Amino acid sequence: MKTLTMLISRWWVQAYLDFMWMTRDFRFFFINIVSDIILNLAGVTAVFLLAERFEGIGLWSRDQIVFMLGYAALVRGFLDMGFSYNVLHISRRIGRGQMDHTLVQPQPVWMGLLTEGFMPFSGSWSLFTGIGIWTWAIFQLDAVFTMYWWLMFFSNLASSCAIVLSFSFVWGSLAFWAPVAAEEISSRAVNFMFQLKSFPLDGLSVYVLASMLTVLPVGFVAWYPCRQLLGIAPANLWHTPLVAVVLSLIAWILFKKGMQHYEQTGSQRYLGFGHRG
Amino acid sequence: MNRPGHSATSVSDIAVELTEVDKIFYQRQRSEKVRDVFKNLFRPNVREIRALQKVNLEIDCGEIVAYAGPNGAGKSTTVKLLSSVLAPTLGTVRCLGMDPMKDRVHYVKRIGVVFGQRTELWWDQPVAASFEWKRVVWDIPRDRYDAMLDFVKDLLGIDAFFNSLARQLSLGQKMRADLALMLMHEPEILFLDEPTIGVDVLAKRNMLEFIKNLNREKGVTVMITSHDMDELEQLAGRIVMIDKGHIAFDGDFQELRRQFGDHRHLIIETSDTSPPKLSGVQFVESKGNRHHFTFDAAQISIPTLLDQAAGQTTIRDVETHRAPIDDVIADMYEYWDGKGGEE
Repeated sequence: MKTLTMLISRWWVQAYLDFMWMTRDFRFFFINIVSDIILNLAGVTAVFLLAERFEGIGLWSRDQIVFMLGYAALVRGFLDMGFSYNVLHISRRIGRGQMDHTLVQPQPVWMGLLTEGFMPFSGSWSLFTGIGIWTWAIFQLDAVFTMYWWLMFFSNLASSCAIVLSFSFVWGSLAFWAPVAAEEISSRAVNFMFQLKSFPLDGLSVYVLASMLTVLPVGFVAWYPCRQLLGIAPANLWHTPLVAVVLSLIAWILFKKGMQHYEQTGSQRYLGFGHRG
Repeated sequence: MNRPGHSATSVSDIAVELTEVDKIFYQRQRSEKVRDVFKNLFRPNVREIRALQKVNLEIDCGEIVAYAGPNGAGKSTTVKLLSSVLAPTLGTVRCLGMDPMKDRVHYVKRIGVVFGQRTELWWDQPVAASFEWKRVVWDIPRDRYDAMLDFVKDLLGIDAFFNSLARQLSLGQKMRADLALMLMHEPEILFLDEPTIGVDVLAKRNMLEFIKNLNREKGVTVMITSHDMDELEQLAGRIVMIDKGHIAFDGDFQELRRQFGDHRHLIIETSDTSPPKLSGVQFVESKGNRHHFTFDAAQISIPTLLDQAAGQTTIRDVETHRAPIDDVIADMYEYWDGKGGEE
């Protein structure tokens, strides 16, 4: 209970900081919203236009594709909102020697990382775009959504977010051992996931598909869970949460190992920008 | 090593205790020759750097300790060990009765750390926002927070820029804001790693005055590192010098001067332009009838020198100055460097 109170109070103060930052000037406020919406729409437009032109892609109808695009945009939206200030791009913090700041705060490292990147105002516009696309798709789809389906939808959505975050931390942990060479590795990993998140992966060779569901788990960002949720494939809605648990565990072990290494070696470099805006 | 006034210290009075602490880093050495490329990749030379070697150090509650040494001597490594950022390779680090690594969350709530040229301020936010963030993360009760905010605003004069964006502050203002932020949770010990680096003379003087007041009024223990020895001498009663990872000196500034020579400047104004011939001194220069000498006051006294001069010429005026502590330290570093070269 005490932990939950601590988490809420930290999210609350981050929300306050973000609100004050967002509303400091109207022009800035307006530009921030418009650019975020354009960016998120641009990320899904190509696939939407293909689906519109051909009235679907492969096994997917146009509305199902829109649902998947909405789901992918939601994943990106939640991550942008919850893990800013280079928490999602964790290798930047590690490589720049900024973990020192986290270590001198009287809270567990995980709590600092879970709360410090929360930007519910300036970071939520891509989430609103995602909600818009996804809601539109829900009304277009001719389906009945049971309580079980909603439960699975939210657990799959949370799992997809956890997979992207864990993937970033798995690669980002390399920065503990190679701070300069791996400083941008989390950004590369996250960009890779976000660039491919909107493509239906049906029809790829077994080997390519297998790699996209294991070593480069981009399939779990939207394609695989949406396939199950929409009944395109035999529904096994526990696959994505299971992968999320396994990948989170790997990320946790590697990050912990990295932190132990950091405590022994420290960082030989320090760059101030990035983690405090 | 004996320190003045520290023999009868009880365990509960000790704020910081480093026992036989070693800190070893490993550095890859890379050859620039193309033929060594595979060796660099697969079997690189690794150099062992002993940043700290068998360091024993005790700091009592309420002390101000200057921690000094040449670049790379191990000052920042020590501060990081005491700030729960680094773990020792060997030995034990205890501070406020806790192990900084094992009890990190509780421990950092009771200490304050400032690393010069780093900031805890939220860059794109007004200074006030960082203080609100601090109140929540450090879980400071509202009444204590308000009282401390008044205290630091008053003493550090941060009111004038409290609502300005952190990135718009001057270096001196930023440092004051960082100090104030660090003090909000009323830490029992301050670790200040080169806090005045890049700060102008006035801001530096105010900051030192503030640290002294804080120590006097609230009994806060302070460990400060700096390259500015005059600044350290103004602030601290005790100086710990570290060189190549060893504690090379631990005592007060007078003792330091005694050990490394009590260098003085003597300027004698005489009736003629040629300097008197004095033994046991070093002649520096003559400007008209003002003659400048340096000497070691531990070896020869001023009256003796004046007697010698009076026997040769008519003395019109005399000035003596103690050599700045920076000169003493520079001599010391030179001496250590020479010793290191011989090893």
